[in-house]
Amino acid sequence: MRKVILLLLLLCFTAHTRGKLHSPPAKPGLTSCRSPEKETFTCWWKPGSDGGLPTTHALYYRKESSETVYECPDYHTAGENSCFFNKNDTSIWVNYNITVVATNALGRAFSDPVEIDVVYIVKPNPPEKVTVTVMEDKGWPFLRVSWEPPHKADTRSGWITLIYELRVKLEEEIDWEMHLAGQQKMFNIFSLRSGGKYLVEVRCKPDHGFWSEWSSTSYIKVPDYFHREKSTWILITVFSTFTFLILMWLLHMNRHNLKHCILPPVPGPKIKGFDKQLLKNGKSNQIFSALVVPDFPPATSSNYEDFQVEYLEVYVRREQELVLEESKDLHNSCLKSESSTSDCDSGRGSCDSHTLLMAKCREAKEGERQTDRECSIVSLEMSSGRVKTWPSVFSPLPRYSSSPLDQQRQSYWDLCLSSKQPHLLNPPTPVCRELQAHSDVNISSIGHKRAPAGPRSPALHTTEYVEVQRVDNKDTLLLQPVVQGCGRMGGCFQMPHGEVYSKVKGVDSDNVLLLQREGMGEDRCPCVEQETNEVTGSCHKSCTVSTTQKPSGCIYTAVPVRDEMATMANGYVDTATMCTLHTC
Amino acid sequence: MAHCGGTNGSKLFTMVLYMAAACGAIPISDLLDRASQRSDKLHSLSTTLTQDLDSHFPPIGRVIMPRPSMCHTSSLQTPNDKEQALQVSESDLLSLVRSLLQAWEDPLVVLSTSANTLPHPAQSIISNKIQELQEHSKSLGDGLVVLSGKMAPGAQTISSLPYFGGNDIGQDRISKLINFNFLLSCFRRDSHKIDSFLKILRCRAAKMLPEMC
Repeated sequence: MRKVILLLLLLCFTAHTRGKLHSPPAKPGLTSCRSPEKETFTCWWKPGSDGGLPTTHALYYRKESSETVYECPDYHTAGENSCFFNKNDTSIWVNYNITVVATNALGRAFSDPVEIDVVYIVKPNPPEKVTVTVMEDKGWPFLRVSWEPPHKADTRSGWITLIYELRVKLEEEIDWEMHLAGQQKMFNIFSLRSGGKYLVEVRCKPDHGFWSEWSSTSYIKVPDYFHREKSTWILITVFSTFTFLILMWLLHMNRHNLKHCILPPVPGPKIKGFDKQLLKNGKSNQIFSALVVPDFPPATSSNYEDFQVEYLEVYVRREQELVLEESKDLHNSCLKSESSTSDCDSGRGSCDSHTLLMAKCREAKEGERQTDRECSIVSLEMSSGRVKTWPSVFSPLPRYSSSPLDQQRQSYWDLCLSSKQPHLLNPPTPVCRELQAHSDVNISSIGHKRAPAGPRSPALHTTEYVEVQRVDNKDTLLLQPVVQGCGRMGGCFQMPHGEVYSKVKGVDSDNVLLLQREGMGEDRCPCVEQETNEVTGSCHKSCTVSTTQKPSGCIYTAVPVRDEMATMANGYVDTATMCTLHTC
Repeated sequence: MAHCGGTNGSKLFTMVLYMAAACGAIPISDLLDRASQRSDKLHSLSTTLTQDLDSHFPPIGRVIMPRPSMCHTSSLQTPNDKEQALQVSESDLLSLVRSLLQAWEDPLVVLSTSANTLPHPAQSIISNKIQELQEHSKSLGDGLVVLSGKMAPGAQTISSLPYFGGNDIGQDRISKLINFNFLLSCFRRDSHKIDSFLKILRCRAAKMLPEMC
């Protein structure tokens, strides 16, 4: 009973072990075959699972030209699972058919056959004796790498031709720098980093084969060649220092100019009599007292008129004297010393009348010298005494004229005084107006007395008229007395010799020229009424259109405008021709 | 073959070399250098062609591919290892080279024509490279003629290796591909032989320039 149980157990055990571990070997596989020098070669295989039993592997090969199967001659030289074919067993340009067989107790396994030709599986050994040296080329270092082909490869006879490749990198870098060297056994590497540590490796390849493994790494340290660069830097530094010193010296020499250029001096205060030093050193009282200028502001106003603008300067007196002396027959009597009468021309534009002045003068000379009339030259004496007016030759001097008419006349002459200095009018104005008032009254009285004024007309001839003959080139008036005649109605003035001018006032709608009687002004233009012979001096010629007498107003003479008359330059109309038309 | 006049031939070759150098003509080393460069290019082209073809080669083709021993140039006796190769004289080596090159003149035409109709995805690339192969082969052949003239009379010997494959490489797609592949593999081996021999010759001629080898 026990035996049966033991037998059963044994059977079960054996059956179990068989099923689990024992099996024919798996198929092995040839991994690679390589020849290092085209003379020998080695094949390696990878065994499969051995099936639990000790398995042996065998390599069998067959050459292409024969059917003989040979087994691998050497299983050990090349290591485990390898087969080494030595020179005698190696034929080139011959196909080898290689198979690996795995054998164990339970069976065999054949690998797939592999056809190889030795010349196509050449993979040389790495180059040997790689040496790296640092050499110098004109002071710049470079690496010289030299090596030798693997000792087994026969390159001398040309049996195998190798081409080489090397790679370089700095110790701290990652990427290699590759260089193909061709068939040469020496290579130069330039552009090195000063003081760097380099790694160099070399490998080779047959002309139609596989690359070898990289050779062992060679280390090399490049020496520092900074000293050569340093000398350059020293030179540059010295040169720049030298230049800098020169520039500084130049700046120092021209520092004043530079200072003026960059920081121009601030102009000091320029106050007259002001002491800058006082400002710096003195006290405030002293400063302010220094500011006070003794003669400022000016106290007197004596020269205030100096600052006034004067509009008119008429120097007539002296020139007039000279001119009149030349034509002494006419003008002597007219020349008188200047009388200082005040200016009270209140705008009466009679000062422009040449006839006014000259008629008066002439009358004084040629006519009956009934009175001690004088053609006086009124010189308007301004406060400065420089302003002169027309020679108001017909200005009756206050001393001789006793009649009210004379006083009236005086008023007329007053108009000749310039009134262009309004401020000057202020003092004499009351006097002027008074005279004017007198004139008004008298004229009106004259007007009323007109009728019986005939016999008095001779008395009225005492008015002095001077006619301006001409104005010479020296701007002097050449006077001639008015010819007193009664060519007209009694008391009327004769037609004077020479030319007589009237100012044109305007032209009315009927093309009639309106003449302005030269008189006291616009509002007072006491034109002479021929009949009344009320010559108050402004107009020596009276040509009236209207028969009415308007002693208090201007009588305008209207004449038809003739072209030639209108073209007179200064607006004056020659009334000589005009008056022929009218009874004067 | 390996021992036939090897030492005497090398001496003669060296003498010829010095004479050529003395005359001032293009030295043989330069000629050989150019020739070996040409042959190197030739072999590289054939290698890339093989890789292009193998990219889409049907796996079954590997099994039934004819053996390389059936190449039409297999009858030519060439050294099988280094010792043998180094013992061959220069003129013999050149003769071998020329013979091999000559043997591939016609098959390359066959390859070229069949490449036009090759049922392969990379057909146009293959066709172009076949064209290049023909050009390089032609120029190398012409150079070798010049080179052989500078060498011993033995270099003029060219073994005839006719190609009997005909113009047709197969009817169906598989056979076409297989035959094309086979032919190309034969050429690849022979071009490698040519390149190796010329490089041996180059190293021998460059004795004055040891850095060449």
